[in-house]
Amino acid sequence: MRENFSQENIEENNDEKIAKSVQSGKVELFGVLIEKYEGKIKRYGRKFLADSEDINDIVQDIFLKAYENIKSFDTKRKFSTWLYRIAHNEFINALKKKKNFLPLFDLDTFLPSALWDKTLEQNTDLKETAPFIDFCLDNLAPKYREPVILHYFEDLSYQEVSDVLEVPVSTVGIRIKRAKEKMKKICEKLEYKL
Amino acid sequence: MTKNLNNKKSLSDEIFKKIEKGQVKMRPKFYFVLKALLAVCSVVLMIVFILFLISFISFYLRASGIWYLPSFGLRGFAIYLKLFPWLLIILSIILILILETLTRRFSFVWRRPIFYSLLTIILIAVVGGFVIEKTSFHPDLLWRVQEGRLPLMGPIYRQFNRSELRDVQRGIIEEVVEEGFKMRTFDGQLLTVILTQETRFPFEKEIESGDSVVVMGERKNDTVWAFGVRGIEDEFRKFERRHFRSPMRQNNKVK
Repeated sequence: MRENFSQENIEENNDEKIAKSVQSGKVELFGVLIEKYEGKIKRYGRKFLADSEDINDIVQDIFLKAYENIKSFDTKRKFSTWLYRIAHNEFINALKKKKNFLPLFDLDTFLPSALWDKTLEQNTDLKETAPFIDFCLDNLAPKYREPVILHYFEDLSYQEVSDVLEVPVSTVGIRIKRAKEKMKKICEKLEYKL
Repeated sequence: MTKNLNNKKSLSDEIFKKIEKGQVKMRPKFYFVLKALLAVCSVVLMIVFILFLISFISFYLRASGIWYLPSFGLRGFAIYLKLFPWLLIILSIILILILETLTRRFSFVWRRPIFYSLLTIILIAVVGGFVIEKTSFHPDLLWRVQEGRLPLMGPIYRQFNRSELRDVQRGIIEEVVEEGFKMRTFDGQLLTVILTQETRFPFEKEIESGDSVVVMGERKNDTVWAFGVRGIEDEFRKFERRHFRSPMRQNNKVK
């Protein structure tokens, strides 16, 4: 079933074009997407769950779901965001099973974004401090941890994080702002300085 | 959950093995179109149901006269609270919350804070409900229920037959008599209203034959000892000739 595709051929195509080919029946190209995203999704999962066997199982389920539902993917949008959305749902379900779930109702998504200063927030780049953040993340509540992971570790923009979590961009901003405040306190306790 | 015991095997191989065995199949586009259509239909149905409920609550409060009770002072307000359709209000709130949850799956909804979408839903429900209440929709349905032509709607319109509503009457004065007046109620009964020195007239308007009034007071058979009488604008009269003439005639024949 699987055929070999030249590296050149694959690099020419972006994820969305590959997904479109999969949709139109070139199933074997799905392997290209698996290989490209396997590591990223596993890394994303490790921020939620400690058990690597659990993570491997869930990552497999994520790609199986992606394959099953690939015809619902709108190729005008980013494939990575769509895949992270599936991953988000799967990891949240796993967290729920472990009784460590996100609340159904969240005040951050309820109110308009008066608390979030977009320009100030996006100019303050924490990417250089990413290695330190990693140490403090485990102590952060999942609802704050996830946008930080997606933005600082998976390099997703605020808009893309908003698409993955299906919350307003302003909520992403508020959560990252609060996450940084909380992490500062946690890191200080752990004797790291942000 | 699939147990991945063989770590040496690549994820890609595992997945393609399942695909080849037919354990996982790509869902057709039609499946997702149908799912989206179902989601839209459920939202539309929910909106229709909420509009029906809100407009019914408003119709019920006005048509039964409950709406005007607070103008009779504390006693009126207490009866108003007692007769207020709390269950229907709670049901409406639950349905609004369900609608909010149903609409959250659409990106144009979740991209904005819940505050805005909830406010929009509440505004649509309240404004839409009041607009529908001003039409002949509910008087029409009430008439059909009374004729037995709408058995499914019966339970909701039976609110008008609640025994507690005997203390509130809404109708048109047919004749002013020495001890008070005779009035024809919304559902065609002829009642004698007795006015006493304690009877309250919140708006001091003189009442005469042909006026629409709400009367609050203790009722025994066809006589009401009025605690309060208030003249009101009869917004249902325009529907009355068309829709309520017949039951009134039936009642007249019986009497």
